[in-house]
Parts: sequence; C-alpha cells; structure tokens
Amino acid sequence: MKLVKTLAALALGAMAGVALSAPVLAQDGGLMVIITPSHDNPFFKAEAEGAQAKAEELGYTTQVYSHDDDANKQNELIDSAIAAGAKAIILDNAGADASVAAVQKAKDAGIPSFLIDREINATGVAVAQIVSNNYQGATLGAEAFVEAMGEEGNYVELTGKESDTNAGIRSSGYHDVIDQYPDLVMVAQQSANWSQTEAFTKMESILQANPDIKGVIAGNDTMAMGALAALEAAGRDDVIVVGFDGSNDVRDAIVAGKIYATVLQPAYRQAQWAVELADKYLKEGSTGMDEKISMDCVLIDETNASDLETFALAE
Amino acid sequence: MSSAVATAKQSSQGNTSALLILLKLRTFIALIVVTLFFAFMAPNFVSVANAIIISKHVAINAILAIGMTYVILTGGIDLSVGSIVGLTGMVAGGLLAHGLQLPMLGVIIYPNVPEVIGIALLVGTAIGAINGLLVTKLGVAPFIATLGTLYVARGAALLLSGGSTFSNLVGKEELGNQGYPIIGSGNVLGIPVSVIILVVLALIAAYVAQRTPFGRKVYAVGGNERAAALSGVQVDRVKIAVYMISGFCAAVVGLIVSSQLVASHPASGETFELNAIAAAVLGGTSLSGGRGLIGGTIIGAFVIGVLSDGLVMMGVSEFWQMVIKGLVIIAAVVLDQLQRRLAANSRQG
Amino acid sequence: MSDVVLGARAITKTFPGTIALQDVDFDVHAGSVNVLIGENGAGKSTLMKILAGVERPTRGTITMADKPVSFASVRDAARQGIGIVFQELNLCPNLSVTENIFLGRDLTRAGFHIDRAAQRARTVELMRLLEHEIDADALVGDLMIGQQQIVEIAKALAEDARILIMDEPTSALSASEVEVLFKVIGELKRAGVAIIYISHRLEELIRIGDHFTVLRDGRLAAAATRDQVSIPWIIEKMLGSGEVVSRRAPAIPAGPAILEVSNLTLPRRGTLLAVDDVSVSFRTGEITAIYGLLGAGRTELFESLYGLRPGATGSVKLAGTELSGRSVSRRMKAGLLLVPEDRQRDGLVQNLSVGGNLGLASLRRFTRFFSISKADETPLLQQVIRQLHIKTAGPDAPITSLSGGNQQKVVIGKSLLTEPRVLLLDEPSRGIDIGAKAEVFSTMRDLADQGLAIVYTTSDLKETHAVADRILVMAYGRITADLRAEDATDEALVRASTLKLDEPAFA
Repeated sequence: MKLVKTLAALALGAMAGVALSAPVLAQDGGLMVIITPSHDNPFFKAEAEGAQAKAEELGYTTQVYSHDDDANKQNELIDSAIAAGAKAIILDNAGADASVAAVQKAKDAGIPSFLIDREINATGVAVAQIVSNNYQGATLGAEAFVEAMGEEGNYVELTGKESDTNAGIRSSGYHDVIDQYPDLVMVAQQSANWSQTEAFTKMESILQANPDIKGVIAGNDTMAMGALAALEAAGRDDVIVVGFDGSNDVRDAIVAGKIYATVLQPAYRQAQWAVELADKYLKEGSTGMDEKISMDCVLIDETNASDLETFALAE
Repeated sequence: MSSAVATAKQSSQGNTSALLILLKLRTFIALIVVTLFFAFMAPNFVSVANAIIISKHVAINAILAIGMTYVILTGGIDLSVGSIVGLTGMVAGGLLAHGLQLPMLGVIIYPNVPEVIGIALLVGTAIGAINGLLVTKLGVAPFIATLGTLYVARGAALLLSGGSTFSNLVGKEELGNQGYPIIGSGNVLGIPVSVIILVVLALIAAYVAQRTPFGRKVYAVGGNERAAALSGVQVDRVKIAVYMISGFCAAVVGLIVSSQLVASHPASGETFELNAIAAAVLGGTSLSGGRGLIGGTIIGAFVIGVLSDGLVMMGVSEFWQMVIKGLVIIAAVVLDQLQRRLAANSRQG
Repeated sequence: MSDVVLGARAITKTFPGTIALQDVDFDVHAGSVNVLIGENGAGKSTLMKILAGVERPTRGTITMADKPVSFASVRDAARQGIGIVFQELNLCPNLSVTENIFLGRDLTRAGFHIDRAAQRARTVELMRLLEHEIDADALVGDLMIGQQQIVEIAKALAEDARILIMDEPTSALSASEVEVLFKVIGELKRAGVAIIYISHRLEELIRIGDHFTVLRDGRLAAAATRDQVSIPWIIEKMLGSGEVVSRRAPAIPAGPAILEVSNLTLPRRGTLLAVDDVSVSFRTGEITAIYGLLGAGRTELFESLYGLRPGATGSVKLAGTELSGRSVSRRMKAGLLLVPEDRQRDGLVQNLSVGGNLGLASLRRFTRFFSISKADETPLLQQVIRQLHIKTAGPDAPITSLSGGNQQKVVIGKSLLTEPRVLLLDEPSRGIDIGAKAEVFSTMRDLADQGLAIVYTTSDLKETHAVADRILVMAYGRITADLRAEDATDEALVRASTLKLDEPAFA
C-alpha cells in the first residue's frame, strides 16, 4: 500500500516535471513551446529563460520543457506541443539526425520550428536555425590573446575532445589569427578533453617542460579554470589565460584579474532572437532571413565581465 | 656425453632462472626504462620539481589502485571508484560552498574543514560497504554490483549541484571553514600533501597486507575461497572490508582532486577506475585473485604516471598517448603469463 | 562407555529431494581409531561434515562429555577440539605452508601484528612430528600432492585437536608416507586423541582400526570392534544383499576385438597420471563393466578414448583404424560413441523436443538441400523410440516431460542414430530409479546382442555382476583387475579398487 502511494507520488512528480511551467498568463498571442536539453546546465537554462521572457513580453503564453538529450522524449514533447495547438516551437534539439523527423512532424501539423544552438541535418524543415558562430568567436578570443601577449612569446593551447567538431572549429579559429604572428610560438598543444582535472595535470607537466611560457589559450572555460589552478599552484600569476564559453566561474576570474578574456556564446540573446523571428514569421509569414543564421559571439574581458550573468550580457 | 647433456641442461636452467628474475622485476625495469627514455627525450624531465609534479599526479591513481588491489586480491573488481571520486568531491564542495541545509529546522550548518573531510570519507566508505553487501549478501557479481554503483554515485554527484561546478572552495573566515586547498596544493618540506598521503597509505596498506591476520585472509579468500571458509575465515566480512577500503581510498582521491582545483565538478573521476585497474595489473596483481603486492601496484601506477606526463612533455598527441598506454598494459599481461608459464615449467623440470 | 568422547544419536540429514542420513548413531572413542566405512553415497561424508561443523544435522543430537553440543561452523568445531583433514585438498595455493597452517587463527602480537617467527617455529615442529622435510616458507602450490596432504594434517593438528577426522588421508600418499602417517596416528592415539578414519582401503582399516561403523544407503548397517571384524564381514555389511536387476545371458557369443587400446596415458595437473599406461581391448557382442572408486580415472579413460582430452598419448584403434589425434567428430564417424555421465549438462538440450534431442547427433542423415527432411527423420526417430522402449507421447513431446530413465534412453538413442559400433556409457544408471535402471541395462544387452561392443562404468558393485560379461577394475589410473563376470568375487573387486600397483611417481 505504502509502495503504491510512493509510486503514485513519483508518477505525479514526473508529470509535474514535464509540465514544468504550465500556461502562465492567458494572453492573446497563443502558445509558444520552448524545448531545451536540460535545465540543470546553466547554459541551457539561460536559453529557456531568455526565450520565455521574450515570448511573454511579446504576448505569448509559454510552456517550457527539457528533453535531456533523449530524442525519444523530444519526439513525445513535440507530440504534446502539436496536441496543445502551439503556434510555434523554439527548440535546442536532441541530435542532428534524430531530430529531423520530429521537426518535420511539427511542420506537417502546421507548426513552425525555430532551432537554436545546434543545427539539424536537413534544410527546409525548420523555419530558422540559429547557431553561434564558433569560428568567429574563436577569432575574437585569439585577437584578444594576441594583443595581451604583445604579439610575441611562447604559449600553450589546450584543445577540447578531439572527436568533437567544435573543438576543431575553435582551434582553427585560434590558429588562423595567431599564426599570422611569427613571434608567437606554440610550445605545446594537448587535448584535455574539455575536463578541468585533465587540464590541471597536463598543464602542470607542460609547465615543467616549458617554464618559459607567457600565455595559455583553452578551447573552453572548464579547461581554462583547470589551467589556472595549475598556474596558481606553481605560483605563476604572470601567464595570460583565455577561455571560451562565458561561464560565471571564468567571469569571476576575469573580474579578479586572473583570466584575461573569454568568448561568450550568447545563449540568452540567441533564444530571444529566435522568439523575435517566430513572432515576425507568425505575423508577416516570413522571417525575412535565410533559414541558417549564424549568430556572432561576444568577447568578455575586464571591461564588460561584470555585466555577464549566466550567459546573458546586460545591455 | 652424459656430462655434456647435464651441463647443457644446467645452463639452460640457469638461463631460465635469470629470465625469471628479469620477468619478476619487469615492472620495475619498465619504470627505469621509461624514465631513462624521457630523461633523454623530454625537455626538463630530470629535475626535482618535475619528480614532485609526477608524484603528485601519480598519487591520485596510486591511492585508488591501493584500494583496487585489495579488492582484486579477493578475486573481485571495483568499477565504482571513479564515480566515488566525483561524488565525494561534490559532497565536500557542496558542504564548503553551501553548507548542510536543513530546511526543516530552517538552518544551514557550515562544517569546518576536518568535518567536511570526515563526512566525505564516510560517504566513500559507505558506498564501498554497499558494494560489499551487494557482492556478499545478495550474491551479485562484483563487476555488475560495482557497475551499478558507478552509475548511482555518478548520478548522485550530478544531482547534488544540478550538474554544475562548486567553485572557489576556499571557505570564508566568518564561517570558519577555510583551509581546504591545503590537501591538494599544500606542501610539507617541499613535498606535496597528496604525496605524503600516498606514502602513508601505501605503507599502512603494505603492512596490513603482509603482516596482519586480515591481510592473510584477503590473500586466502582470493586463493581458495572454500579453503578459507573451512579454515574459519569469515569470507563475507573480508570481502565487505576490501570494498570499504576501496571506497575510502576513492574518497581520499575525491578530496585531493577537488582541493587541487579548488572546485568540484560532478564529472570528475570519469574512467579513473580503469587507470587504477591498469596500475594494479601492471604491478603484477592477478585479476583472478590471490596474487599481488601493494608495492607492485605503486610501481605500476608510477609507470603509467611517468608515461603520461613524459608523453605530454614531449608533446605527443592524445591519440598516440592512448595507443602507447594500451600497448604497455597488454605487454605487461603477456609478460605476466610468460613468467607464470616459465615458473611452472621450472618447477616441473 | 566412559571412553566415548563424542556421541551422535539419531542423526538425520535431508537435502532437497534426498535423505543423506537417516537415524544414524555413531560413537567416537578416545585413544582409538574409529573407522567409518561405506560405498560412495552411503553418507560417510555427510556424517563427517556434520561432526566437523560444515553442515548442520536436520535432526539428532551430538553430545560431548555428556553435554549436548552443536557446531555453528568449522571454527566453532575446532574450538571444541575437533579437527578435520578433508579429502579434497583445502589449501590456498598462493600462500606458504606456514600461512596455510595458521590461516584463520594467526598467532599475533598486540592483536594485529602476525608473529611470523612463532608461527614458523611451530610449523617446523609440526613437520618434525610428521617426519617431513617440507620447507615452512614454501608455497603450497609448489608442493607435490602428497606433501600438500601432510600440510593438511599439520593444519588439523596445529590446534591440539582431541578428535581428528581424516577423510581418505592416504589416497594421495605413497607407501612410505602412509607408514609415517600411521606412526603419527599411533602417537596421537597414545596421547588420547580420538581419530575418525574414513577410507576405502580395507587392508588399511583392518590394520589400524579399533572401532568399526558401516553405513549403507544413509543408514547404520553395523557397528563392531576390531576383534569381531574381517574383510568379508565389511564387504557384506557394506553391500547388503539382493540384486538390483536380474541378469540376462548374452544371445550371441562375443566376437572379435573391435576397439584396441595400447599405452594410453593422460597426465593430470601435478605429477599424478589420470590414466596410467592403459592397454586393453573390447570385443563385439560383449558388455564390459569398469568398476572403480571416484577419481579412479574411468571418466578420464572414456574421454581420452573419445578425443576430449588433448593431453592423452597412446594408440586407440577401432577395427584396425588408428584414431589417436583425430577429432571427436572423426571418431564418431568411425563408430565410437560416448554417452556422458551428466546427462542434464552434457547429454540433453532441455529446450528441444524428444525428437530434436534424438536427432541432434545425426542431422546429416536426414538433411536434404540444407533443410531437415521430416519425411526422412520421423520414421528413424520412431524406430529408435520403439527399439529402446522410450515412453513418450511422441517425437514432439518436450524432453522434460520424460522420466529420468527415459531421458537416459534418449541420450543412448541419440548415440544409436549415429550407427556406432562401440558404445561407451559413463555411469548410465546414476540418478535414475531401480525400474529405469533395469530398462537401461536391458537396452544395453539388446544392443550387445546386435553386435555392438558395450563398455560402461559404475561405482556400484552390484551393477557389475548384474549386467556385465567382463569386469575391469580401475584404481589410480590403472587397470588393476580384468575378470570374467562369473569369476569375479566382491572381495576381489573391492581389493582391486584400492590397489596401488607400485609407488606413485613423486615418491
């Protein structure tokens, strides 16, 4: 009996979790469904909050769901969005191939989808696909790095998981800028697999082999934090560190003068833009733009770091 | 003619025993070989500072491998240690950053650093006890039982923070919880605290294994469980104890890792279990149980550590590092088999 | 009697499905050798395990010094003065001699620091007592089996046992080691230790036994003192009377030798040989029984003949064709077939039907264009079912619906479909009831009368006379007797089954 009650409570809890925020305000614009990978990760949380705020500002009711990177769950969520008669879907999808069918299903039901953060491997299915321009972001970070280095000196690059496309794009963005300066010498390049622990141990070893380094450029903020910990343990406060992502940890380190710069993927702004495009599409029948939209990243350094809060830059 | 035959036989026996000694010392020889190799190939490899850094890196894997060796000696395996590293780090980080929240009483208790350490060690040891109970009382195969706790502990670590990092774990003076970074980055007479922890744990572990009734029972359970039981060894208790030791060691590592980074990340410790198993096997521990030494495991961990750090210092890419590590592990197991076959032959001859 | 140190009364032990012991009384006398005798499965081992604390009795009481006692574990029994030397070696091969002897009761200082010097000294002392030069620091895994047995005895003695149980302690010892053991037993007797001694070697028992207890089928068959006991008396009490099945005479005289084995040898782990230089031949139309104790090498002999043991050397000829070095399937095609002992594990596929099992070994015979032809298969299956009188609803019935005896007949039938000329049956009567046994034996006679050579193993003496035309006895991997059934007396067979022809290799 007790077990049954527990199970029932669990089931109720799960349903409540799915309908995380039920229709809030009955406004005239209709329903906009926002689906992101998870709400645990601050990045995705920023997306959801950005989209929700903008949609309600424009007079829509909202439902916010997460698919936990489960294509099957995403499929069910799109089914319920169709059933609920949504006007538009804002989606950070659960897989480039696995999501095509679900988005197509929404389109067939007459509901336009606006994709953010990640692309799908099909065109003409979603109305818009907005992704951050990782390459442009990397060149921004690299330019800041070059300037801080004074266009010369030895440096180290920590790359992300080598099988991950973004790791490669960011690295090539860095090099397309840095390699123009012959006096900037890369003395070590190691993959730390996006991991803070790995960045820490590898940075310590690299420091042993190359004590004469002047800068470290990392493929993401977690690795930048790991490298920073290793540099601090070695008593090196003279090394220039640049990261990528715009996390709050790195923001604090920039404010404290420990990290020079990072590159923000404007998750919050991106989601807002998707809602704005959806609004325009619903009212005018067209977004007035191409389906694939690349959104530029923003450099964060000491001048604007204090304006950054969970992937949203105060305007 | 007969004397010629006898001499030939003798000299071949002499060769065999010389080869046997070389094979027995293989891990130690491997350590010397890789060290010499990097001394010539990697810049600034030979220095006190680098020796200290390598020891610091090895400590993480070696401490895990000590616990793993105990488990493997009884014929078991513990796949959950990497997740316990992540979870105990998160427990410590959470307590330091946000305290122990008791919403029912409406208070937040901030334990001091020794209390945080105690709680984290307790959590690790308790998960070890759960592993032990699953293996003994419920008869779940060790591989499966610890695979289960691997996921549970990792999930729990993610749940503690909702997936994010507890950062800047320096504590606050007004809360009286400062000093946590000392475990990871403190030094005594120039030697990192984590290395001192390793030395102390290794000495205790080696003593317990070789000179106490408990150690004897561990070897007996791995060598012939039935014989041990018939000799009055409480096999279940021994097994539960080794998993608790393994969980404790993993918690120690969880504290060291999070303290070094002054931050705890829930994904920290992923695949650490495989490195620990590799160190034990490299050090001559038999996966079928009953055979192995703590000293061998420590040397095994150093071979892996010197290899990883040396390759990074040489600037070898991540992909090649993985290939080389894998080859070294395979070579170690092949040589181990060779040694056993030779030893068996020389006994029969 | 005042010298009874331990009395067991009405001991009953049931396992799921069987009664291992029923109302057995057993007295253990101080300062004497208390012999426990019985055939395999008579309940000796169970009784011994109860006394040593390994198993707990279902019913019955045990008293020591007129007080009821119970043993929660081996440690508990040991603390109350009962030591045991198990038949199978129970040592940790990865530990040294000293470490094994003190396993579970290490001598310590301050409760945790092992006093190695003291343990080593005690081990050396024990080895001197046992007159054995075994290095206290040697790894047990490196010792010969005989030496390991000595370590087992030392382990049991190390705790000053008042009662010492020895389960076949001499089975792995050489003659000189046996003498040393008997000397030790003599000294222990003088010291007032009660010894419970289990062995199949009747000469040994007559020589050292003081009190004799005979078990048969889990019950007490007889108890007597040395002066009332002789070897024929023991055999009579052990076997009881009454035949299992009535004997059927062969319909045809035995034909020529078809299976000729010469110098077949199979090494065992360690230095003993599982099959030791066996040369023998079997004739068509004849049923040969191979009698022996557990571990005598009968199964190993069969498996070597059948090609399951790659380590076997020597020559095996079937109708003049050399088979050694050939694979199992080649030997099957030549006409040799083995029906394994464990039919649940090795003989039957539980999820197939009766017909599926019967046809499994000879699918080739009714395969047409890569598919099984029912038209070819069914008549053959029905013929076998009729021939062996298999009681089944038909070829499509599930195998599990059959009784044990009929399942055994299916295994035999499966072999017959491959059209063998020599049939080896390993313990064909094990685990089936008496009626089923009679049918299986009758089937064996039918097949012999059709010109097959039949060879089977048994641990039951009565089943040799009842069926076989010729009886071989195996002991320690060798054939120790080869008799016509009519010439074989029980006594001769029992003696041959414990006979050691000469010193084993390690002496």
